[in-house]
Amino acid sequence: MEGPIMIKTEKVLHLNSSKGRKVRVVREHYVREQVPCGSSLCQADCLNDGKVLSGDVTHYVVPDVGVVRDFLEILEFRELQGIVFTQTAYQSVQHTRGRRHYNRLRALLKDPRHDCVLFANEFQQYCYCPRDKGESQDKWHTRNVYNAAVWYYNHLAGLQPVVMITEDNDAISEFSALNSGVYVISTREYLLSFWPDLQAAHDLYNSIAQTLQERESEGVEKVYTEHLPAEVLEAGIKSGRYIQGILSVNKHRAQNEAFVRYEGSASKNTELNSDVLINGAKLRNRAVHGDMVVIELLPRNEWKGRTMALTEGQGEEQPLEETQSQPMPSGRVVGILQRNWRDYVVTFPPLEEVQSQSRNSQKILVIPWDYRIPKIRISTQQAEALQDQRVIVRLDSWESTSVYPSGHCVRVLGKAGELETEIQTILLENCIHVPPFSEAQMCYYKKMPVNTEENRWQMASSEVSSRRDLRDTHLVFSIDPKGCEDVDDTLSVRTLPGGKRLELGVHIADVTYFVREGSLTDLEARSRATTYYLADRRYDMLPAVLSADLCSLLGGVDRYAMSVLWELDAETLDVCTVWYGRTLIRSSYQLHYELAQSLLNGEEVEVPELSQLKGSQRDQKLAKLLQALETLTRVARHLRAQRDKGGALELEGVEVRAQLDEEKNITALVPKQPLEVHETVAECMIYANHWVARKIQESFPHQALLRHHPPPKQDFFNHLIDCAKARGFSIDTRSNRALADSLEQAVDPQDPLVNRLLRMMATQAMSNALYFSTGACPEEQYYHYGLALDRYTHFTSPIRRYADVLVHRLLIAAIQLEKEGSLSKPLASNKELEELAQHINNKNRVMKLQDKDSKTDERCVADAVIYAVRANGFLAFIPQYGVKGAVYLKDREGQVVSVDGDGRCEWKAGTLQRYPDRISSCTSTGTHTFYLFSHVTVRISVEPSRCHADSLCLELVSNKPHCPVQPESQPAGRGRSELVQEVVRRAEEASLQAERGRKPKLSREERQFRQSRTPNLYVLLQEISELALLDLSVCQITNTEEQTCTASS
Amino acid sequence: MAGLELLSDQGYRLDGRRACELRKVQARTSVFAQADGSAYLEQGNTKALAVVYGPHETRGSRSKSLHDRAVINCQYSMATFSTAERKRRPHGDRKSSEMSLHLKQTFEAAVLTELYPRSQIDIYVKILQADGGNYSACVNAATLALVDAGIPMRDYVCACTAGFVEDTPLADLCHAEESGGGTSLALALLPRSGNIALLQMDARLHQDHLDALIEAAMTACKGVSKVLDGVVRQHLEEVSVLTRD
Repeated sequence: MEGPIMIKTEKVLHLNSSKGRKVRVVREHYVREQVPCGSSLCQADCLNDGKVLSGDVTHYVVPDVGVVRDFLEILEFRELQGIVFTQTAYQSVQHTRGRRHYNRLRALLKDPRHDCVLFANEFQQYCYCPRDKGESQDKWHTRNVYNAAVWYYNHLAGLQPVVMITEDNDAISEFSALNSGVYVISTREYLLSFWPDLQAAHDLYNSIAQTLQERESEGVEKVYTEHLPAEVLEAGIKSGRYIQGILSVNKHRAQNEAFVRYEGSASKNTELNSDVLINGAKLRNRAVHGDMVVIELLPRNEWKGRTMALTEGQGEEQPLEETQSQPMPSGRVVGILQRNWRDYVVTFPPLEEVQSQSRNSQKILVIPWDYRIPKIRISTQQAEALQDQRVIVRLDSWESTSVYPSGHCVRVLGKAGELETEIQTILLENCIHVPPFSEAQMCYYKKMPVNTEENRWQMASSEVSSRRDLRDTHLVFSIDPKGCEDVDDTLSVRTLPGGKRLELGVHIADVTYFVREGSLTDLEARSRATTYYLADRRYDMLPAVLSADLCSLLGGVDRYAMSVLWELDAETLDVCTVWYGRTLIRSSYQLHYELAQSLLNGEEVEVPELSQLKGSQRDQKLAKLLQALETLTRVARHLRAQRDKGGALELEGVEVRAQLDEEKNITALVPKQPLEVHETVAECMIYANHWVARKIQESFPHQALLRHHPPPKQDFFNHLIDCAKARGFSIDTRSNRALADSLEQAVDPQDPLVNRLLRMMATQAMSNALYFSTGACPEEQYYHYGLALDRYTHFTSPIRRYADVLVHRLLIAAIQLEKEGSLSKPLASNKELEELAQHINNKNRVMKLQDKDSKTDERCVADAVIYAVRANGFLAFIPQYGVKGAVYLKDREGQVVSVDGDGRCEWKAGTLQRYPDRISSCTSTGTHTFYLFSHVTVRISVEPSRCHADSLCLELVSNKPHCPVQPESQPAGRGRSELVQEVVRRAEEASLQAERGRKPKLSREERQFRQSRTPNLYVLLQEISELALLDLSVCQITNTEEQTCTASS
Repeated sequence: MAGLELLSDQGYRLDGRRACELRKVQARTSVFAQADGSAYLEQGNTKALAVVYGPHETRGSRSKSLHDRAVINCQYSMATFSTAERKRRPHGDRKSSEMSLHLKQTFEAAVLTELYPRSQIDIYVKILQADGGNYSACVNAATLALVDAGIPMRDYVCACTAGFVEDTPLADLCHAEESGGGTSLALALLPRSGNIALLQMDARLHQDHLDALIEAAMTACKGVSKVLDGVVRQHLEEVSVLTRD
């Protein structure tokens, strides 16, 4: 056999067999001379492909097994460069720390921004040393790592000093004396002598070290039952005795209620198709929200119902037996398959509380920002310095002897209540990590085309000749929200010579031209996956020079584009031919929605692009534009009608836009007015997406990135059907067509809100639309339920979504395939694509949640509609602000609301009676009943909270609908609005200052911060779990797919 | 626990081989004097002993004999100590009779049985240590034993397994890789003609990957054939040196 010479050795392992017996296993182990070292200083011509350590660092560092296992977080600092991970340490992490930790290490090694490599020392002939008889495993590992370090030093011919860091003091004394050019020192010493300025790393080191020390001196009294071993769990799941699922904790009863939802195929048991309730901390057995757990069902007589009463605040838990619902399947956690711990933001308690706790040790209980996470035990000596600060904490472990999990501090965010801290908190709690674009990337951009006053960006002549030029032939325009900077789609429509055919064109910014696959920009965009929008700022996926300028299809300048052009029959509007390709365009008009709508309505409005022109020339141009808009509207109506026939759903979402006055304060929150032109643009985008999806799926049947929307589960519709019944409507949910039709009919002529509410409920019942790779899914699952299309993808917003960038690349490859019959390079395989799809899906979900968080804004007294009834109150929706909340009819003293003659409400002694569709309060003054869908007036106020996000509080004012005349109730809701105003104002100032330096000509007054926040709502639906816990959630109602496109256009 | 990573990001397998590298193959022929042909073969840690008797008259009932060619009788067995846990292995259990049948089919395709009508060739194979790829070790050992017995064959029969992990075909699986739950394909090849004597695969595999997998297995078989050829030639040299005097 040719090839490298390998030497066969044997390794003896002692493993546990499936029956639990110890078995001696002999495994082969091949070692060879040629193992790539992964350093650019290599003198021996190693075959180094992929990541290579840079040569211009002062030393290389080889961490020992124990360091990698316990202090990986320190090695994650990007400042630490030249790290050589040994295979010994790598595998030890895999075996001892589980998959999550291991995956983090893998990600670190793959990340091109970290200067570290993996060296397969155990396969290197001269590095590997077999384990001696009677040698402990740790010693053996350390010896191996040391050998590797020595080999590395010699392999590089002594060009680079090598430092081995270890936590094992014996090893330091044993090896440092050998004096072979390799320094062996402890981690602490290493940080002190090599990174004295990296304070964050020192703090983190101390924090972890202390936690490790504490863990050794733990008590022994068991609080929880032990988890079962993994083999038993696996066998139990297979046999159906245990159930596997993701634990989700009820936000409002975090201590008591948690639910487990089945994972896919596990739900064979039809009797148990609902969630399983886990009642109380004992039964939850150390599982934390989001963990993948294994549960065992309790016997039927121990089943409990979920609490139906609305609870005020957290903490006080009175078991209210009479308010429980029907008993539902209940279970207990017997094991945890996978922890899903992330970084948590916590607040340190004030000092007086600390002192009472920390009698015996330096342990402090801190309170996480997220209600669903239990308190965390932390050992620190900085308790005084940290009080009232928000701190990032990582969980380490949760022993069965401890009531609370233990963790360690990672980083201090800042003082609670400060704007910057709070925004960081929101970002972190949603796992969004957006550092500013790094220096290396910035250097990279310097090589990229710039576009400044003196140095105009020019199109390359080779590009001009290879692209189809639409600059003179087509009237291209864009319609976007006011003040939008990142214009990624434009439209064109014209009648072809002869008049028989129409040509409709959608032109999308050609981002892939600027963002080459595998470049730093691409990697960064991929890890960010989308642009994040907050109320007062946004975190771009692409650097500003691209997103707001070179890629953006601004009016009056030449830009590259990817176009889809359809030739339609002028009469029937059927598609005759489709053309896809790269083009050159120059957008003639940059319209905004309101302007376009006014033009269509025939109103006299000023088009900025035409204000320079005069007289007939201007009228002529205006007429041309108007005609294009009208044709577009006609085409869009036709497309919409066609999709309606297929059963497309129109769902309801409320969008609020903040109106800013001159001083950038929020003057009012205005629900967004839907205009027809929104729908027109959206329809064209959906059409483009659909046709691109068809094209790439046909070209690459196994590796195209599409987006599907699985049909919702029928039982999620129960609430909707019940509510509709209360109003006398029947809702048919058997298919999307039936649902659309029955929603269409469920209109109360007196109250348009009823229909909107019903649509909102339908929206909540939906599952999320997801990206997928066509190879990973059978063809019948490609269907998009909400849009009623057989294939769909995202193509139209490459500036904001990474998925679109991928689709662009696929489309280009498809065009190339057609032209040349071959591909210049292999495409991402199905698997890679699927992984990417998962990544993007996660990021999108995250973004949606985060968006929700930043949107809690309210004002005083408003009209509300009852949409669900609970045992001690009801849930109301406030259309004006698009918020939902709970209204209590019974306070803590047991008094209930009574209503007097003119509708005023008072607290009095009495009783409440709850029916499926109404709730009555019975007092001395009489009985009053609140029905579903009836209007009431509520007062909104904000309940501030130190550790958590402020919450919204609704109070019943009157049972009459609120009269639209605004009373002088302005100050009532100040807390929150002030905060938000403050938020907006400061950020505005900051960004103004920053912007002033660079782009003085942009008129900031026109910029509205909510302008383009819609696209991130394109994932239609609220998380399903919200539905299960449909309570107090101040939920924002998400959007429909079509509205997404509206905004993205 | 985290499942074993069969193929690391750097392209190493559990035992340090790369995807297309074989385990170390060592073999010796004529290990038993009383048999007509015998061979001992190690493929990594899988060790097999093959013994061939025949061609001889059909034993037992005459009805089994064929008038135009020889009958091949195969028997496969595993030693009680061949696996990590000692286990009594009764004769003729399902697994070994299936394996016997596969061996029989393989060698019927390779041995020129028509030269010996109405006779019988016995091939006994025993696995002394099992570490994945039992079938291929048996075939390779039996081939050497047949050569040693001087029974005419069309070509060497070489066998090897191949698996499929993370879109990469792996040649010559060891026990840990076989039991990892992935696909495993066993292939017996007549290397010079490129004819396949037997092909077996139990798990599911996407059709697109099948060609790549078979290709990998065939390359591996050709590698094995070189080793076997070397063993036979070396044995021949030794024997000729001994008989010269």
